[in-house]
Amino acid sequence: MREQQEDDQLTGALAQAASMLRAEPVPRAGWREALLEAVASDEIDQMPLHRWSVRPAAAIAACAACVIAGAALSYGVLRGPAGAPAPGVAASSVRNGDASLPVRFALEAPGAVHVSIVGDFNGWNPAGLPLHRMPDGRTWEVEVGLTPGRYAYAFVVDGRLARDSSAAESGADDFGVPNSVVLVGGS
Amino acid sequence: MLAFGVCLTAGAGRLAAQAASEPALPARLGAPAKTAIVAIMDSARAAGLPTTGLAAKAAEGVLKGADDARIVDAVRALARALGTARDALGPTADPSVLDAGASALRAGVTPATLRSLGNAGATPAGAPALASALVTLVDFVAKGVPPALASQSIEQLLRLGAPESRFVTLRNQVEADIRDGQSPETAVTTRVRTSVQQLGAPAGPGAAHPPPPDPASQTV
Repeated sequence: MREQQEDDQLTGALAQAASMLRAEPVPRAGWREALLEAVASDEIDQMPLHRWSVRPAAAIAACAACVIAGAALSYGVLRGPAGAPAPGVAASSVRNGDASLPVRFALEAPGAVHVSIVGDFNGWNPAGLPLHRMPDGRTWEVEVGLTPGRYAYAFVVDGRLARDSSAAESGADDFGVPNSVVLVGGS
Repeated sequence: MLAFGVCLTAGAGRLAAQAASEPALPARLGAPAKTAIVAIMDSARAAGLPTTGLAAKAAEGVLKGADDARIVDAVRALARALGTARDALGPTADPSVLDAGASALRAGVTPATLRSLGNAGATPAGAPALASALVTLVDFVAKGVPPALASQSIEQLLRLGAPESRFVTLRNQVEADIRDGQSPETAVTTRVRTSVQQLGAPAGPGAAHPPPPDPASQTV
């Protein structure tokens, strides 16, 4: 019986405490106004401003230097390692034993797996003259002995025909696909 | 009779050797196209025309994905041009001259002009000079020089006995002039005039030697 009374008293005290905690605290009168007043009157610390001043001539010179450095870097990257053959077509002036002139064909095809050359000089046989990948990993090259004359040709890069952008174009042909042209000179 | 038999045997042997040296026709060609091309090549061979270019033309068409009818038409057109070139340049014309002559015809040079060029090229400089002259002619026309002007210019040089190297030099010079901004027509006219003066000039220091080739030229 006594225990029951103590329990009832305790429950009442807990309920009162919970009700006090749930109740919204009432701010002191004038507290909000005092706070706003204090904020408004507080001085904002001034961040020190660091202003860069550059003369126009110096800025232009810096830009030019950046452009030149970028161009030089790009040239170096695109050209590949020193000594890599340039794409295009070139011939030696010294004739082979059979009176033909050695003509070097080169193509830049970094991602290619197989490159060959086809043309009037090999009966347009795609398997006839494979190009060899050079040590730079980008350029493919082959040397062909050609007698003086005018030859139409194209590269075959992984089974697809590709023009030699460094050579002259043949213009209209019988099949609507222009060829590249090399003129091999005589002695 | 024996001589006739020997000639016949020799002729048959030559044709067989020529056929053996030709590249095989591409396997992708259909049977009717293959039959038509073989017939064209047989006719050309019998007429004494070079046939290697005909087989190559068929292979080029296959490689470029052309249909069979277009390939047969292209082979037939080339065979016809070779025949016309042979008629214009004579039955003894060198195969390299015939090939160059056929290219000239297909570039727009008339058979009459080709005949005239063949006559002008019958000089001690011989077939290499004529072949080089025709190659140069085709190159000029491809660069945009009117065929008539290009033909007259080349014929003028042939009549003066220009050697093979003169035409190579001329091609190099014209190429360089065009790169420098001259029109193809002006470049050819100017350079041929200079060449004519050099070839026609009386013997003297430097007159007998053509100028050295321009190393910057596209001709290699």
